[in-house]
Amino acid sequence: MLVSMKWLKELVDVTLTVEELVDRLDMTGTAVEGVRSVGEGLSGVVVGAVLEKAPHPDADALSYCTVDVGAAELLKIVCGATNFGAGDKVPVACVGAELPGGLVIKRAKLRGLTSEGMMCSAPELGLGGDASGLLVLPADAPLGVPYAEYAGRADTVIELEVTPNRPDCLSMVGVAREVAAITGKSARPVEIEVSESPEPIESAVSVEIDDPALCPRYTARLITGVRIGPSPEWLADRVTAAGARSVNNIVDITNYVMFELGQPLHAFDAATITRRDDVAAITVRTTREGETLTTLDGQTRTLTSDMLVIADDGGPIALAGVMGGEHTEVSDATVDIVLESACFDAASISTTSRSLGLISEASTRFERGVDPSGCVAALDRAAELMRTLASGTVAAGVVDVYPAPRAERTLTLRPGRLNKVLGTDISAEECATILGSLGLSATSDSPHELTVTVPTYRPDLEREIDLVEEVVRIWGMERVPATLPSGPGRIGRLTGEQRWMRRIDETMRAAGLNETMTYSFVDPSDRERSDTAPPEGETPVWLANPMSEEQAVMRWSLLPGLLRSVSYNQRRGVPDVHLYEIGAIYGAVDGAVLPRERTMVGGVLAGSWSRPGWNAPAAPLDLFDGKGVIEALAIDLGIERMSVRAADLPWLQPGRSAEVLVNGRPAGWLGEVHPLVAERYEADAPVVAFELDTSALIGSARTVKPYREVPRVPAVTLDLALVVDDAVTAERVEQAIRKAGGKLLDEVRLFDVYRGSGIPEGKKSLAWALSYRAEDRTLSDEEVRPVHEKLIRKVSGSVGAEVRG
Amino acid sequence: MTLIEDLKRIEGEALARIAQTEDLASLDAARVEFLGKKGSLTGVLRGLGALSTEERPAVGKVSNEVRQAIEAAIEERKAMLAQAELAERMSAGAVDVTLPGRKRLPGRAHLISQITAEVVDIFAGLGYQVAEGPEVELAHYNFTALNHPPTHPARAATDTFYVSDAGGSGREGDPESDVLLRTHTSPVQVRVLEQQKPPVYVIVPGRVYRRDIADPSHLPQFHQIEGLAVEEGITFGDLKGTLDHVCRELFGRDRKTRFRPHFFPFTEPSAEVDVSCGICVGSGCRFCKNTGWLEILGCGMVDPNVFGYVDIDPERHVGFAFGMGVERIAALRYDIPDLRMLVEGDMRFLRQF
Repeated sequence: MLVSMKWLKELVDVTLTVEELVDRLDMTGTAVEGVRSVGEGLSGVVVGAVLEKAPHPDADALSYCTVDVGAAELLKIVCGATNFGAGDKVPVACVGAELPGGLVIKRAKLRGLTSEGMMCSAPELGLGGDASGLLVLPADAPLGVPYAEYAGRADTVIELEVTPNRPDCLSMVGVAREVAAITGKSARPVEIEVSESPEPIESAVSVEIDDPALCPRYTARLITGVRIGPSPEWLADRVTAAGARSVNNIVDITNYVMFELGQPLHAFDAATITRRDDVAAITVRTTREGETLTTLDGQTRTLTSDMLVIADDGGPIALAGVMGGEHTEVSDATVDIVLESACFDAASISTTSRSLGLISEASTRFERGVDPSGCVAALDRAAELMRTLASGTVAAGVVDVYPAPRAERTLTLRPGRLNKVLGTDISAEECATILGSLGLSATSDSPHELTVTVPTYRPDLEREIDLVEEVVRIWGMERVPATLPSGPGRIGRLTGEQRWMRRIDETMRAAGLNETMTYSFVDPSDRERSDTAPPEGETPVWLANPMSEEQAVMRWSLLPGLLRSVSYNQRRGVPDVHLYEIGAIYGAVDGAVLPRERTMVGGVLAGSWSRPGWNAPAAPLDLFDGKGVIEALAIDLGIERMSVRAADLPWLQPGRSAEVLVNGRPAGWLGEVHPLVAERYEADAPVVAFELDTSALIGSARTVKPYREVPRVPAVTLDLALVVDDAVTAERVEQAIRKAGGKLLDEVRLFDVYRGSGIPEGKKSLAWALSYRAEDRTLSDEEVRPVHEKLIRKVSGSVGAEVRG
Repeated sequence: MTLIEDLKRIEGEALARIAQTEDLASLDAARVEFLGKKGSLTGVLRGLGALSTEERPAVGKVSNEVRQAIEAAIEERKAMLAQAELAERMSAGAVDVTLPGRKRLPGRAHLISQITAEVVDIFAGLGYQVAEGPEVELAHYNFTALNHPPTHPARAATDTFYVSDAGGSGREGDPESDVLLRTHTSPVQVRVLEQQKPPVYVIVPGRVYRRDIADPSHLPQFHQIEGLAVEEGITFGDLKGTLDHVCRELFGRDRKTRFRPHFFPFTEPSAEVDVSCGICVGSGCRFCKNTGWLEILGCGMVDPNVFGYVDIDPERHVGFAFGMGVERIAALRYDIPDLRMLVEGDMRFLRQF
């Protein structure tokens, strides 16, 4: 809502400065989004006289003028307007001036000639009026004087953010009422009188409402014999300040009254409405099958059955509360006007406006709620202006269909309750005074209750709590003492699961990975691109209205987003990428309304841990760096049984692809991303990646770990190199060793894997360091030797190993 | 020449020789030469047997004195040489201590996580628990039970992401069963109050979605932290005190807050909270758009209608709720020029915080 200070001051005394008023509005719930100067901002625009007007030698549409702006030098200005001649006075924006649209005037060459300024039209100065030519000033305008000073058209416009619960503040009288309440003044009512001719309207116009729920009130007046023409300057300035464009006197009057009183009006060209028994017969009804309407903006719109229209016997003539129809629009040839002032159902207007993508000043007001009690006053106000400004004749009477007049609401406010909710000690008298300043009347029958009557222009005040809010916002939220809850019901603690989640997070970072966050949306083509798929029994969750095709579906894996980040870094010269993300993946499940959301932890590693240093080479990262992260996670969470198993996962490189199991159940995957997948994401392979289901991890995490004796005697460590078939996994050999070692075997560590000379083709040598230890004594060689030898025999037998000589 | 003279001569030779040794090896060689089994002192003493019993004690005494003197000289020399050798070894091992160290840096938490954890910890200290809820949500929880009328503009498909077909539900038919991406963390308020009777003190961090085109100041997904406190006797003053405390913890002890009345469908009275600008300290600058204040959260007293949806008696229980945008706090605290940096995963950005 744009509020002209000049206009506001006519409706209420404003003794505060603009800054003070803005602050007060901010602190009472009407946020100020901006303050703009009209006219005052026109520094550098002065009254100038055109001395000479010559045609531009190279452009027929331009002229080349010599202009006197009262300065020592005469200015040469190139101009495109034609409505002036030598001797005319016009506003001139000199070099350096900044116009309201943000245009800064510079010396410029136009078709080869230098122009030292700009002669202005009214809209170029942020004022109402004709845009087709220069604003030609009276001959007595003083040369060289700043234009704003001369014209007295300077104004300040405040832009208010009106919250959806305050339809009353979408009008100047509403804002004036609010300003009066918050500054302790009283607003001046707008005096409305109308002079009517004896001719009654009933003989010319009739109105029917089909469904009063959708249109609680419809009123109309008939104004005949109007002369369409430009608006007077004051009217054009007002509607311009309020954000509309000055069109002609009739349109400007309807807009002016809407801005002033908050009641949208619509003027029909009476001659275009279909007659029924010589009466312009208007019906307010919902749309019939297949009806269309060409609206004022020239678009033909197909209407759906829930839309409310104004119709005559020929069909819809206006989209109720949203936009008029082109056919019944006021034109230069219009003589008689049917003026509509109605109240439509807020929800219906909102639905229509949104489904057509058509938002107008009228629909904005209707969808928040227009006060039906104000319809006739607005009608009278506009009709009288049409009489005085457009030479119209106002027919006697008003057509007023108002089946169920809205009554003022009565509410009870308990000051005790108010103070209990606010934590204040505001007296009943103070409450009554504040409510009174807002135009509500508060009377008290008992010391504990106020009876409050709410005017119909405040539909938002329905309950006691609404009145509590009114009182506190005027009384001052800043005056409410700040306290802390003192009840006993507070025990702050993370749940076990939440603490584990933090632990996972910490372990990832301790392992050297940096947290990132990627989009929850992915591209449907990520399905093929990454060769990943939702888990079995789930399908991707599609958005009905995505921002773009690239973000049309919810992710089923963290991998595509993470791969994009790998590529992002590599393409920008960052080769070492260590990222993890903890976030949800989504999968629709048959029969369930809401999809399943699973919190995953995913990671990607590429490049090396660091660039080569003076004393440390840059070892390329591979699968085992990823596995190390996962192993650290298992140790940190106290998961006893985490293992990986080779598995062919299509998004991973065959042979470097594994499933991760926790307690024998699948919990995720680990591997090096398939080179072709990496290529499709423009990522340089190898990229190590993993993704684990946090609930599987947390489900097997151990809160309490049992104490184990810290060894007090030294161990006997023996090395053992076993040659086995390539197909025999290290895990299998280790299991065999542990099984064969008995209770003296303490630690088993693989320290070398070797293939090559001395080892037959298809075999490998695994070298282990085995530590034997007894809890209570230092073991002797003689004691260990037979155990070790038995272990060798057993392991060799179970995994087909030979001891490497 | 008497044996005693021999002994004295050997002593003199030995001491001179020991003093000349340059390292432990030559010192040891000297020891062997004089004191070893075949050493010169031993050789002289071998002649002891030929002496008379009268002469023996005197020669024996001198020979002991000589041996002790040589041994002492060797020990002394040994200590000296060891010290010198250690000094040399250390000097050879000296390094340029300004060379970079060997390190594997721990990773960093994402800025959004850091701020979230910080806020959660502040509230844990105030006695709040952390509640969570689904990101893909029913319109009932996201809008209806939060007192949004059926035609509320936020419900429009221009503002809110809808899920096209989850388990057979969609936009057609009953709007309550519409499935959408939650537009705020507030639906968790309703879910918590359905499951837990007051007293309730919860904080709800989470990811939310709105149909905004990604640009320097908008992302279609961002993060909020919701708070809800419901107990008998809670007041608007308690809300003020709580948020005053939180803002000072987050932004600094010297920062001020102000509460501006506002409108939200699910709280009444409602307010927006500003914190004083840390750049100009309230005098107005470009950062705070010349207001001296930065808007950081929305809050209010739980609307009685919301209590109605979860069967809590609004006459008995009072509550307050608030919500803050984590990206907004991040942008304000770190002056981040473009929010899109938060979702790009640029290592150079992530490692800064």
